[in-house]
This record gives sequence, C-alpha cells and structure tokens, in this order.
Amino acid sequence: MSAAGVVYVVDDDPSFRRAVTRMLTAAGLSVQSYSSGTELLAHLSGDAAAEESGCVLADLCMPGLDGLQLQQACTEAGMALPFVFLTGHGDVPSAVSAMRHGAVDFLDKCAPQQALLTSLERALERDANARAARVKRGQLEQRFAALTLREREVLEHVVHGRMNKQIAAALGIHERTVKLHRNAITTKLGVRSVAELTTLTREIGLFAEPRQSCP
Amino acid sequence: MSLETTLWSMQAAAALTLAVLYGVVWSIDRRNLANLTLCVVAVAMAVAARDEVGMMHAATTAEYGEWARLIYLPVFFALIGLVLFVQLFLGTGRLWLLWTIVGARVAVIVGNFLSYPTFAWREIVALRHVPFLGGQVALAGSTVVRSWNWLSLASCALIIVFVADAVLRAWRRGGAEGRRKALVVAVGVGLPLIFTIAYAEAVLLGALPLPLLVTPAFLITILVMAVELSRGFLLTRQTRQELEELRSELARAGRVTALGQLASALAHELSQPLSAILRNAEAAEIHLGNPAPDLDELREIVADIRKDDQRAGDVIEQMRSLIKRRTLQMYPLALNEVVEDVISLVHSDALARHVALDYVMTPGLPLVSGDRVHLSQVLLNLIINGMDATQASPAYNKRVVIEAHPREEGRVEVAVTDSGPGLPAGVIDKVFDPFYTTKSGGLGMGLPISRTIIEAHGGRLWAERAPGGCGLTFRFTLAQAQGAVS
Repeated sequence: MSAAGVVYVVDDDPSFRRAVTRMLTAAGLSVQSYSSGTELLAHLSGDAAAEESGCVLADLCMPGLDGLQLQQACTEAGMALPFVFLTGHGDVPSAVSAMRHGAVDFLDKCAPQQALLTSLERALERDANARAARVKRGQLEQRFAALTLREREVLEHVVHGRMNKQIAAALGIHERTVKLHRNAITTKLGVRSVAELTTLTREIGLFAEPRQSCP
Repeated sequence: MSLETTLWSMQAAAALTLAVLYGVVWSIDRRNLANLTLCVVAVAMAVAARDEVGMMHAATTAEYGEWARLIYLPVFFALIGLVLFVQLFLGTGRLWLLWTIVGARVAVIVGNFLSYPTFAWREIVALRHVPFLGGQVALAGSTVVRSWNWLSLASCALIIVFVADAVLRAWRRGGAEGRRKALVVAVGVGLPLIFTIAYAEAVLLGALPLPLLVTPAFLITILVMAVELSRGFLLTRQTRQELEELRSELARAGRVTALGQLASALAHELSQPLSAILRNAEAAEIHLGNPAPDLDELREIVADIRKDDQRAGDVIEQMRSLIKRRTLQMYPLALNEVVEDVISLVHSDALARHVALDYVMTPGLPLVSGDRVHLSQVLLNLIINGMDATQASPAYNKRVVIEAHPREEGRVEVAVTDSGPGLPAGVIDKVFDPFYTTKSGGLGMGLPISRTIIEAHGGRLWAERAPGGCGLTFRFTLAQAQGAVS
C-alpha cells in the first residue's frame, strides 16, 4: 500500500473491529478504531487530527449515530472525510443516500480483501488530493487578498477580455493608470499572461457569473 | 339360587352398569341425546329382567298377571328408546312413522294399566310349569287374548318397518361410514328386535309354550349400541389429538413467518461474526507471508476466529430451536433470560429501523412455568408488531418497552408497549381475530397464534391502550413455577 493517511474504523462490534483493524494494519495501513461515531467526532475535533489526511471505514448500522448520520455530522463540522461504508445487508436506499453524500464506496462486510483495500486506497487518495487542492487554494486566496479594491475592479474587466481603453472609460480613470494597476496585479499574483490570470481567477471562483465570452 | 335368577341378575347388573355409565356421559355432554336413549333402554332392560324373573317364579295366576302387567312399562321405554336411538344414530327415519309408533305405544301402555291383567290378556286361566335351564318355571298355560291386541301387534310391525326403512335409506345414501352404521343398526338393533317381537307375540298369543322373555335379545342390542357410541368417544379423542397436532403445526408456521420477517436481521446477526472471521483469516495470511511471522499475533487471531465461530453457531442454534416443530414442554423458566434472548435476535433489526428496545427488568422475578420456544415466539411476535407499529413515528419516538412484573395469585405479567399511533377502542380486540391485519404484508395470524399459545399455558393475552401514551400495550400472564425465585 502506497497511500499515506489514517483509516478511521468505526464499528460497534468489538470482534469485527479488532479483526478488520488487525488485517488493515497487517496490510500496511495506519489504523485507528472507534466503537462509535461520537467517539470519532470527539477525536476529529481535536487539533492534531486536522493535519492528517485519512478516510473513514464505518458500519452503516450502529446504535447511536449510524453510518450515514456520522457522515453528515462530519460534513456539517467541516471535516469532509471520504467514507467507505460496510454493511451486513446492503439496501439500495441507504447506498444511494451514502453515495449522494460523497461516499467512496459501499461494501458488504464480507467483501473480498482486495476490493476493500482498493476502496480504502482510493478514499485516502481522494482525501490527499482534496487536501493538496485546499492548500493550493489557500495560497491563491492569500495572493488575491493582497489586491486593492481598485485592482480587483481592473482585474474583473481584464478577465472579461476588455481593452485598457474600455477599462479606463468604464472606471473613469486614465488609461495609463489602468496599465499601472495591471502591472501591480501581475506582480502580486505572480502570473505572466492574461490567459494564466483568467485560469487562476476561475480556479478560485472569482467573477464567475458572466460567462458569455466563452467560445 | 336357581340358574335363571343368577343369569337374569347378571343381565340386570350389566344393563344397569351401562345405564349409569352412559347417564354420566350424557350429563357431561347433554347435546348428545343418543347417550340418553342408551341409558333409558338399559334401565328398562334391568327392570324388565326383574319382571321376567317375577313371572318365571309366580305361584298364582294373579301374581303372574301382576308381573306381566308391570313388564309393559320397561318394554314401552325400551321400544321408544330404540326407535329414537335409530333416528339419532342414522338420521334417516321417517318422522311421521316415529310419532305414529310413539302414539300407538302410549295407547298400549295406557290401555295396559287401565285393564286387568294386561293389554293382551283378558284372563289368565291357568299356569303351567315347564323345564327351563335345568329348573321349573311358570308360564301362562291358557289365556284369553283381547281383540284390541292388534294395536300392539301393529305398533310392533311399524317399529320393524321404521327401522328397516331407516336402514335402507341410510344404505342408499351411501358413504362407507353411513353404510357401516346402517349395517350395525340392521344387525345389532333390527334382528334382535324382529326376533324379540316375534317371540313375545307368539308367547302372548299362546302359540309358543315358553316363558315371556325380552331381555336376552335386547341385551345384545344395548351392547351393540354401547360399542357404537364409545366409538364416538374414541373419534372425539382422535379429533382432539389431531387438533393438538394442528395447533403445534400452526404455531410452527407462525414461528417460521416471524423468522421470515426477521430474516434480514438474522443475516446481519450472522454476517457480523462471519466477516470478522474472514478479516482475521486475511490478516493471518498476510502475517504468514512474512519470513518471520508474529506467532503471538497468529495465536490471538486463531482464538478470535474460534470465538466468532461459536457466536455464529449460537445464532444458528437459536434459529433452529425456533423452527423445530414440537409440542408444549413446560419447565420453570427465568423470564429475564427468555426476554434477553429474544431481544438479541431482534437487536439488529431494531437498530436498522431506529427503534429503541427497552427491557425493564424486575429484580427477584419469580420463575414461570412455560415452554421456552413457544414463549419466545410470542415475545418475538409482540416485539416485531410493536416495531412495525412505530414505523410512521418520528425517529425520536420509536420505542418498544418490555416489562415483567410479579402479580397477585402467583402470576407474572409481561407487557410489551409500543409508541405507535395505537388503535381506536372498538378495534383493539379485533387484532386477535384471525386474518385481521393492519400491515400491508401481514397475514393476520401472529396474534391469534400468540393468544392460543398463552392460553395453552393457562394464561391470558390481551391488548389495551398504552398507559400515558397513544400506542398499544399487549399484556400476558403466566403462572409462576412452583419453587424458588430466579
């Protein structure tokens, strides 16, 4: 197994919990097990856990918080971990609901070992990617935050493909001032071309609504 | 004592024994009038036997005439009793014929006691003594026969016609049992009747120089009747046994249905240990793939596999004991254990349906006398019903509470209360009617079967509005076992 990260096993049945922990550990995964959803939530809300990437392997049927409720609670608490659900008897409505909330997989408790490991690997990968994306986005947001209000206005016009002359007219400033703003923007954001600028703003979701200029 | 006295006493004793026996049987089951007719005929035969001995030992014509007069009374009851028996037994006689016979025989008996010495004889002229059974007995040597004796003859002929007609009609109606009964009446009642009537009339008319005897042939008839009626008892017993078997079969069907409802929950209950075993085996495989496997870890894995296998086996054993077909086997039971076993069976189902199952255990609850499997079935049924009833309730109010309390008079009461919407007061008792159901997939047999089981335990099962709620409470009582506290 190559994927890093912690598999959080949540199951109320101590015997199954021990067995699955034992197997996953032997397969080279790092595993933490919890007997209930509440226990996992308590752990996740601690600071240490926020740094680690991971995924949850939860039983769908549990007393107290069941699997789906745990998934929802995690999402609401802003800890959107990928979930792999295990069930003794797969029923379609819960499977649909789980997938809709972003579950990676929905497996029978007796599913083949390889299927389980593949699912977990995919879940860990997804979390790692999501974390990387979050980090990148955080850095971008920081750069965009450095722009002044005027620079943002200029940027919006640039992204929408307007010429310097048009921008100057629209904002009621001199064309040369527009050029100065544009230089400041490219320096602050560390980009070289208008195309790159457009890609970045789209990535961060700025000025998204008027899309009529797209081919 | 002469031989005829001994023999006739024995006849009378036999007849009286049967009379008492069937009198008691009739007093228990008064609808079965055939038993009463046999009782009446048997008493009549005992009295007739006494009269016959009186006639045989008569010293004077007056004494002889007195006994001859008295014997008309038992003969009246015997003939009417037999005719009614044939009608009750075969049900094919013509009623107008029957009432004509009754009328004619009433006329004969009234005429007999209004005249002297008897209905048939105007006068007994002399007695004769003839050898009989190694002794000498008296009989009417010469008599003057009345002209109205034709009425008695005619009524006897009508009786023979009535019986023959009833037998023929029963025979023609067919059916193995019907024909057998017809044959029994023909041989057991018809032939002795024809013989007795022919013999008695021949003696009365002076054509046969023998004592006037009716009891020996009629005794055969009584015995045949008794055997036939006791066949009825045997059949009743057989029916009851069949009913018992049917009930046990029905109870089993109920258990299997309940298990069908539980199937998914049980699958879950089994998949838990099975999947644990699988994961442990996989872990062991990985460890064994190492050049230096961790033997302690492997030992632990094997021990865990063994434990989970035991757990799966227990689930299967419990299920099997519920499916097995068997009759009630009453033992002292700890109710707490039975309830906990059932809860462990439905536990996963309740979890999946978000129903909270609460068992309020009363410490020091006395042992009850009951059949573990059958009581488990009742509890299973009541709990599943309760969970079904809460289906539409909001998630925070899905609850089934099971309570057990000792009650007065050595009883224990168990209550299963759900938090469902309940039922209107008028409908509550309907839930015990067979095929009454409020569930779309329900058969409506669970509660009637449960009630049968509890009643077979000598208890009662009823439903009422839940105290302080709108759901339903099902309560049943069980007898406390003789002995210690659990």
